[in-house]
Amino acid sequence: MTVIAVAGKGGTGKTLVSALLVNFISEHTTSVLAVDADPDSNLPEALGVEDQLKKTLGEIRELFQVSRDEMGTMNKEQWLEGKIYAEAICECPRYDLLVMGRPEGEGCYCFANSLLRGVLKRLMRHYDYIIIDTEAGLEHFSRKTIDTADYIIIVTDMSRKGLATAKRIKGLAEELKLNFKKIFLIANRIASEDAEKTIRKFAEEEGLELLAVLPYDSSVAEVDLRGDPVSEIDKNSEVYKKMREVANLMLNLSVEAR
Amino acid sequence: MVERKRIEIPEGVKVKESVGEEAEFPFDISPMYEGERIRKGDMYVELGGPSQPGFELVMALPMDQVEDMKVTLIGPDLDEMEEGSTYPYAMIYYIAGEMVETDLEPVIERRNHDFQNYLEGYMHLNQRYDIWIRIGKNAIKKGLKSLIQIAKATMMLYKNELPFIEKIEAVYITDKDLVEKLLNELAMPIFEERDARVEALSDEDVDEFYSCTLCQSFAPTNVCIVSPDRPSLCGAITWFDGRAAAKVDPEGPNRAVPKGELLDPIGGEYSGVNEFAKQESGGEYERIKLHSFFEYPHTSCGCFEVIGFYMPEVDGIGWVHRGYAEPAPNGLTFSTMAGQTGGGKQVVGFLGIGIAYFRSKKFIQADGGWYRTVWMPKELKERVAKYIPDDIRDKIATEEDAKTLDELREFLKKVDHPVVKGVVRPVDGQKITNGWVEEEEEAEEAVEEVAAEAAPAASAAQPAAMQPMPMQMPGFQLPALQMPAPSAAPAGVKLIIKDAKITIDKVIVRKAEKEKKGGK
Repeated sequence: MTVIAVAGKGGTGKTLVSALLVNFISEHTTSVLAVDADPDSNLPEALGVEDQLKKTLGEIRELFQVSRDEMGTMNKEQWLEGKIYAEAICECPRYDLLVMGRPEGEGCYCFANSLLRGVLKRLMRHYDYIIIDTEAGLEHFSRKTIDTADYIIIVTDMSRKGLATAKRIKGLAEELKLNFKKIFLIANRIASEDAEKTIRKFAEEEGLELLAVLPYDSSVAEVDLRGDPVSEIDKNSEVYKKMREVANLMLNLSVEAR
Repeated sequence: MVERKRIEIPEGVKVKESVGEEAEFPFDISPMYEGERIRKGDMYVELGGPSQPGFELVMALPMDQVEDMKVTLIGPDLDEMEEGSTYPYAMIYYIAGEMVETDLEPVIERRNHDFQNYLEGYMHLNQRYDIWIRIGKNAIKKGLKSLIQIAKATMMLYKNELPFIEKIEAVYITDKDLVEKLLNELAMPIFEERDARVEALSDEDVDEFYSCTLCQSFAPTNVCIVSPDRPSLCGAITWFDGRAAAKVDPEGPNRAVPKGELLDPIGGEYSGVNEFAKQESGGEYERIKLHSFFEYPHTSCGCFEVIGFYMPEVDGIGWVHRGYAEPAPNGLTFSTMAGQTGGGKQVVGFLGIGIAYFRSKKFIQADGGWYRTVWMPKELKERVAKYIPDDIRDKIATEEDAKTLDELREFLKKVDHPVVKGVVRPVDGQKITNGWVEEEEEAEEAVEEVAAEAAPAASAAQPAAMQPMPMQMPGFQLPALQMPAPSAAPAGVKLIIKDAKITIDKVIVRKAEKEKKGGK
C-alpha cells in the first residue's frame, strides 16, 4: 500500500494533479483507490465519474447516526462496512473512488468515527495505491480517519498565498507525525522563468523536493475551470507529459520501497 | 420459540455432499485478508447482495442431530455458475456441543463474517438476511472449485477459534426457490424471535456490563456504563455493541465490567460498577446508580443526546434534546445546560442520556420514570411516544403547551399530572413525592420535612465534590447548615462542598418574598 496525499491551497490545481495521477497510475494496476478528502473540491468531476457516485462517506455516517437506534443487535461495524462497500465506494473502470463528503454535524461522533477508522484501515491496506486529494488543513489525517501518508505532494501556484499554504502544510504534516517518506512540491501555472526561479528557491529553502514545474497552459486551465474531466487534456501538452513523468516516478518510488 | 431442526431437502433439487476435513485449501487463510474488496471487474460471481436473496443462520441442535464436518450443497456449484453473474445464497450451520445453547446462536453466527473474510479471494459483507458475497477470479484461477471448500474452511475456523463447538455441519444453498422459502419460513421467524428476546433483555439477565471510555479525551472522569437497560449517553452504543467490541479488543475503550453484587435493585447500583467507576474516574466517584436521577446519577460526558433537568418549582423533570434550540421552561437552552453538566461530572439535578434510554423499562425508575417527567420538546416526545405509558403520555407538556414555568404549572394542574398530588413510582408502588402544597404554611412544613429526610443521605454522601451549579438552583441543601433554602420546593438535591473555606460576614434571616416562593 502506497498512500500519496496531494494537498495545497484551493485553486492551485491540486485536484488536476490528483486526477492525472489516478489516471496514469491506474494504467498500471487497478488496485487504486482515489479519495476525495476535500469537501471543497471536485475530484469526481475531474475524473469524469460524478454520475457514478452514490453516497459520500459523510452521508453514510449521518445515516448511521439516525438509524442506529433501530439496529437492535445488528453489529454496527458490519453495518457501516456494508454500507461503505456498497454505496460509498464508487467502482470506476480502472480504480475505486471514495468521497469523504461533508464534515460532521452536531452530536457525538466518537463511536461512529471509531468504527469508521477500523473499516477504512482494513479497506485501505488492500490497495496498491491510494491517492488522496486533501484540503490544506489535512483534516482527515488529523482526525486519524486516514492515518498514514507515504508521500505528500504539495501543489502551489506562484501566488504568495499558495506558497504560504505550502509552507504551512509541510509544518502540519510534520506535526501530525504522518511518517511520510518524502514531501514534494509541484508548481503549477508557472508562466515565466523568474517565477520558476522563485519557486526553486522556495523549494530549496523549505526542504521540499521540487517534483515538477508545470507551465501555464490556457487549454489545461480551461478544462480545469470548466470542471471537465482531465482526460480531455491535450496528450501532447507539457502539463500532461510532465504529470506522466511524475506518475512514473511515484510508481518507481513505491516499487523501490516495497 | 421457533423449533430448531434440520431443514428438509425437497425432491428434485441438485444435491452435493461431502464429509470430513479437507487436507488443504487452494487459498490462503489469514486475518490479513479482512477488508479485502473484490471489485466488480475482478469478480467471478456474486452471491446474495442487493439483487438476490440470501441469509446466514446458525442453529443449535442436539448432539445426535449434527453430523460433524459434513457439507451439503443444494443448487448449482461454482463450476456451474456463469462468470460475472449473481446467485442466491444461504449458509446454514448446525452446531452442537455441551456448552452450545440457543442463546449463543447470534454470537456464533456473527463470526461467520470474520472467518469468511479470512479466506483469500472471498469477500463477505453484512449480516443475517443482508449478506453479500463476492468471489474473485483470482481465487478460481488458484484452484477454488466448489463452495464445499469454502464451507469446510469456515467450519475448520469455527472449530479452531470456538472450541466449545464440538460438532458443526453446513448446508449451503444456491437454489433460488429454496433460499427464498427458508428465508421466509425459517430464518426470518428466528431473527424476529431473537430481536424480541433482545428487547426483553434486562440488566438482571446478564453477568457483565460494558464500559465506554471513548469520550475520556474530552471528559477525563467520565465513566459510561452500558447495560441492557441503559444504552450509552451518546446513543451510539448498546450492550450488544459493548459486548462485540470487548470481544475484539478486551483492553480497548469498551471493557467488560462484572456486575458484582446488586446493592440497590431500584436505583440500579452494583458493587462491580462502583468499583469500576472509582478506578476509572481516578477516585472521583465511588458510587453510580444506573437508573437514578437524583442519587449518585450516572456521569455526563458531553456527548449526550438529551439532557434531563429538575425543576423544583413543579417538582418534575424535563428533558430537552440537542436539536431543540429554544430555552426549556427553566429558561435554559440545551447548550447552556450541557455546558454545565458535561465533562464527566455527576451533577445532581441534571442528567445526560441517550434517546434510546427512553425505551428502557428501567428509565429513571428510582425517581418515578415517566411519571416524574413533566416536559419535553414535541419533536422528542413524538420520537419516543410509543414508549411512554398510555396514562401519562398526554400529561407531559411540550413547548406547545408550556414555554415558561408558570405555563407549565398551569398545564400540569389542568391535566392533573402525578407531580401535582405526589408521584407513586411504578417499580415498587412507593410514593416518592408529596405533591404541590398550595398553602404557604404547609409549604414550609413540607420543605422542612423533606429536608430532614434528606439529611442522612447527605451525610452518607461520597467524598466526591459535586460541582455547584452557578445558575439558580433552588432546593440545594447545605448539610452543614441544615437550613432549607428559602425558596425550596421538596429536596432530593444536595450540594456537598469539599475542602472549601467559607467566610460569612453576616447572615440575615427574614421571611422570603412572596413571588420567590415556589416560583409563583
